[in-house]
Parts: sequence; structure tokens; C-alpha cells
Amino acid sequence: MDKLIIAGREFNSRLLIGTGKFASCGLMAEAIEKSGTEIVTVALRRVDIENENDDILSSIDRTRYLLLPNTSGARSADEAVRLARLARAATGINWLKLEVTPDPYYLLPDPVETLKAAEILVKDDFVVLPYINADPVLAKKLEDVGTATVMPLASPIGSNQGLKTRAALEIIIEQANVPVVVDAGLGLPSHAADAMEIGADAVLVNTAIATAADPPEMAAAFKLAVQAGRMAYESGKPAVSSRASASSPLTGFLREK
Amino acid sequence: MEVLKINGIEKQFPDGLPKTLIELLKQLDINQATVVAEINGKIIAREDFSQTQLSSGQRIELVRFVGGG
Repeated sequence: MDKLIIAGREFNSRLLIGTGKFASCGLMAEAIEKSGTEIVTVALRRVDIENENDDILSSIDRTRYLLLPNTSGARSADEAVRLARLARAATGINWLKLEVTPDPYYLLPDPVETLKAAEILVKDDFVVLPYINADPVLAKKLEDVGTATVMPLASPIGSNQGLKTRAALEIIIEQANVPVVVDAGLGLPSHAADAMEIGADAVLVNTAIATAADPPEMAAAFKLAVQAGRMAYESGKPAVSSRASASSPLTGFLREK
Repeated sequence: MEVLKINGIEKQFPDGLPKTLIELLKQLDINQATVVAEINGKIIAREDFSQTQLSSGQRIELVRFVGGG
């Protein structure tokens, strides 16, 4: 398998893992390990000053995994930029998953605010990985302002519906000059393999792993699926035909000519 | 009375404000190694926590990392 290269940095794994919704930090750490991932996303939230707070970072070995803070919760470009700067102050690194989702029901990303925030953050030396709807025109515009990837959704966040945006994803993949990371909605390893087979450079998975009955085992399954899908893509797609094409030679036998 | 607005909630300090940001974090029992702080919209670098003086009426945001996708 080829290496994944984002902003000049090489990765052996093409599976990015989100850290939300795990029942415990221990389960999360084990799932991260089994997934073979090298990039994990985290979110920023206010400290609860009345109660004790768990420290998620103590469960993530930062010498092994690149921490990718997201701007979840931001409803405008200004909020996303503010969260991005707080995240950078906290981690000392400038990688960022940009997401601006004003709609609480479908959590669909706001294209206008996302593009606006991406422009500001790229100028401020962030490595920006924007979460977007599967919109080929927006993907090109983001690439033009200098984002490191584009991360189009397969279906709404946490919905586990798989590749509902297939046709648009195929156009984005065909046109992109930056890695395409299919993010959100991948509910099964077969969905991830599907995305990799059509040429996605990587996928990001959270809910499907975190809410499985056995998250580490599901993480291992996603690892294999992503590898299988990528290997299939690199092997060259066989042609699709509406008619049968015999796999065995059609020379007649046991029959009169 | 001296007050700080911490994470959107007004907190009163009848015995006076903590002198510095790091003393406030100690009082609130918050691990300074995992927190990011903003005072009146300006990010405070962690190495400056111990020198950052507080004054009444400031808006303080304390955030940290949690699980997220």
C-alpha cells in the first residue's frame, strides 16, 4: 500500500479515529491501538468547574498518534477560528479538523462559514482539514485557499448510513489534488472499504467503532476493511458489464458440435 | 464584591480574588496541565499562568480536550 501523505507528513494508516462516545477511556485506548491509526481527533469543551473532569489526553500516547483537534460546536467562522486558536495553544501543534455545523438536527456543515474560516486559518499557518458536505465545487475552493485535505461526508455524522453521497464523492475524488478523507456516516467496515475502493485517500470513523458492542474488535475490522479497499483501488478496478462474461473457457464438450 | 465570570457563570469571591490565574485553578481544583485559558477573549499561554494577575469583572474561559470525532 502507498503511504498517505498529508501536508508533507507520511502515514502508514489510512484510517483516522474519532474519540467521542466511548464508554471509557480504557476502551477508547484499546480501540485506537487495534485500529492501527496514526491520527486521532479530539474536541474542546468548557471545563466543568463544579465537578471533576476526566483527562482524555492521558489515554492518548502523543508520541504514537497525531492529535487532530476539531472545532465541533462552532456555528460560525468566528467561533471556529477561536476554537482553533485555543486548540493550538493547548497542543502546540497546528493541525486542525475544521467543522462548522450550525444545524443541530443533521449536523450538516455550513459551506460559506467553513470556507471563510479555512481562509483565515490557512493564513494563520494552520494545517486545515475541513469537514464538508460532498460538494465538488466547495472542495475545489477549499483546495484553492490552501487546505491540506478535504473531508466530505458519506452521510450525516453518527448516522451509520454509509456512502449516500457516492456520486458526488466520486467527482470530488476525480478532481482533487489534495487527499480526500471520507468522514462521517460510515457505519460498517464494508462502507469504509467501499469508500477506499472508489479512491478515497483515507476515512475517518468514530461512532461505528465507539458504539459497537466490542469497540476494539470493530476497530480491528475497520483496519482490515480500509486496507482491503485501498489494495483493491491500487490494483485497478475491473470493468463492470451488464452481461455475463464467462470465467471458464466456453469451448464445448460432452456435446455434439 | 469581587467577581469573575468563569465559563459564562458569575462567581463571587467574598474573601478577595486569587492573585494569579494559577491560584484560581488551584482553588477550583483544576489540573493546570490539561487546561487552556482565555481572559477577556485573549489566550493565555500555559507558561504565563503563574504571572497572569486577575482583576474583578474579567471574563475567563477554561477549556480542555474531550472525546470527539
